[in-house]
Amino acid sequence: MIDFTKIWRVRKDQYFSLALRYFRLIGNSGFMLSLYILFVTGSFYYARILKQLPDNFPALWLFVAVFAYLLTKSPVRTFLRNGDLVFLLPVESRMKEYFRHSIRYSMVVQSFIVVLVFVALGPLFSKYISGRGLEMIITIVLLLAAKLWNIKTSWEEQRLPFNRNRRNHTYLRLAVNAVFVYLLFQKAYVFLIAILAIMYVLSNFVFGYIKKAHGYKWEHLLEVENGMMMKLYRVANLFTDVPQLAQRVRPRAWLSSLSKVSYSHSHTFDGLYRKTFFRSNDYFGIYIRLILIGGLFLFWIPQGWWHPALVLLFLHATGIQLLPLYKHHKGNVWFELYPVKHQWRLRAFQKWLRLLMLIQAVLYVAFLLAMGGTWTNGVVCAVLAVIFVWLFTEYYTKKQLLRVR
Amino acid sequence: MKKILEITGLTGGYSPDRPVLHDVSFNVHANEIVGLIGLNGAGKSTTIKHVLGLMEPSKGTTKINGKTFQEEPEEYRGQLSYIPETPILYEELTLWEHLEMTAMAYGLEEQTFLTRVRPLLAEFNMENKIKWFPGHFSKGMRQKVMILCAFLVEPELYIVDEPFVGLDPLGIHSFLELMQTFKNNGAGILMSTHILATAERYCDRFIILHEGKIAMQGTLQELKDQLGNPDATLDDIYIYASRGKRP
Repeated sequence: MIDFTKIWRVRKDQYFSLALRYFRLIGNSGFMLSLYILFVTGSFYYARILKQLPDNFPALWLFVAVFAYLLTKSPVRTFLRNGDLVFLLPVESRMKEYFRHSIRYSMVVQSFIVVLVFVALGPLFSKYISGRGLEMIITIVLLLAAKLWNIKTSWEEQRLPFNRNRRNHTYLRLAVNAVFVYLLFQKAYVFLIAILAIMYVLSNFVFGYIKKAHGYKWEHLLEVENGMMMKLYRVANLFTDVPQLAQRVRPRAWLSSLSKVSYSHSHTFDGLYRKTFFRSNDYFGIYIRLILIGGLFLFWIPQGWWHPALVLLFLHATGIQLLPLYKHHKGNVWFELYPVKHQWRLRAFQKWLRLLMLIQAVLYVAFLLAMGGTWTNGVVCAVLAVIFVWLFTEYYTKKQLLRVR
Repeated sequence: MKKILEITGLTGGYSPDRPVLHDVSFNVHANEIVGLIGLNGAGKSTTIKHVLGLMEPSKGTTKINGKTFQEEPEEYRGQLSYIPETPILYEELTLWEHLEMTAMAYGLEEQTFLTRVRPLLAEFNMENKIKWFPGHFSKGMRQKVMILCAFLVEPELYIVDEPFVGLDPLGIHSFLELMQTFKNNGAGILMSTHILATAERYCDRFIILHEGKIAMQGTLQELKDQLGNPDATLDDIYIYASRGKRP
């Protein structure tokens, strides 16, 4: 007999120790300090904003939006693994035991998040919704009850065979949750009893029917579970190399024409790097975000010597963030087997990185001039940027990447 | 007969103290398909890795047209194409981009590439999938991409590692037929496989590896003679070679 409880516990513990390892790495990277600073300054501004809010601030709608979202999004953390499709499939009828732990775990974790968000919004609640402690407690209790309902029903929802079915049921829950939260924060408790009755009927008949009619959708459950693991990996990947991070590819057909290169032996890798940049992971997203954030800083900070410094800082950030693109295909045997000179690969990468950094520089200079900056400032920025890009791609990149096979 | 691949006294493996291959020598000539067969772990993949130049021998040499990989790395690699056992694809590239990249990497003229690629795509029923990404391919289709890339190059030497797994019957048929065509045009092919019935029909010679050594080698007739059984099938010979027992 398989001891499902034991299997589940072992997996949860393994997940915890993995997550802990990554968080320790993140903590050591100095990120915690920035987070702490962000938290302190954030709460300072939060208090100030609260004081300045007008009396007609639509706090009710803010609460409705936040909690309708939080309630509807109720995934169950299954800790399933790819191998289960083979090894646990035969005992599917007894998997209820296993999933019970998953459901309970998800309830605890997500209830905690609901409470946390509610506490964070507490000052708004007491100012706009109700200052009475009893009502606050009633609200939180009912929110938690709704959370449990959502986790139970969303779990049954996962049995539906098609994405579209599942989505429709999610919308149904979203509608119910929105009404529920609206009535809750309006303190319309009488109507609330009616919606609770509807929820009861829904969970027993609509979602209860799904439970009877459909089995577990293993592949879908695995996909969801792997997706949740990927989230952790992606966050950790910002700080360290995560080998398990699966590459997600988005075709982004509208960018394909930009990645075309002319056909020639020496351009073998040019096209590959461009296409990887546009389609894989998030190189393209990081690039665009860095450009935008840099633009925001240029906009906020008054003209002067800060501007060229900012331009260089953000060019540097782009360069550093895009260096991993070079080793993106690491371990791919074709790189070894192609009868192609090794330098061509590095050259293709340098060329592409240089082009991307120069485009960024041009955008910044154009932006500065459009904001009414002086020509001298623009020219200084442009000249410094070109020199920096040249030094970065020609020397730094080479030094960093020549070691990589 | 012209020797394309020449392996002499090859000893090698993942660590010098524990070699996987012991003094392996054989050749692949032009106009010939050589079957490399052996149990799991007999050293077939290691042999192939040495031929590809991905591993360095601790003793002996592998030469393609008289040159080792160390002497002329790009020329060496330019003369062979490889069909791996497990398809290796760029998840970011479409089928068409894989083909184009391969053609570019092997220095094919653009015109040559375009004239070769269409008939190949048609042969393997992939013409309507040129814009697909590997994420949407089945195992068989991924294998077809590998085959298409290898045949596109038309090199002198083909290194083929277990090509049949996952391929549909039509694909297997096309693959074997093209292999014969290229063989008749002067190519040499080294093919590792466990599908002995097919190997028996298509290979001109066999190398039977056992525990890193060549247990038997020769044409089917020569192997039968060595066994002293004119009715033996390749299966019988294989079992004999790897068990040391007469069927």
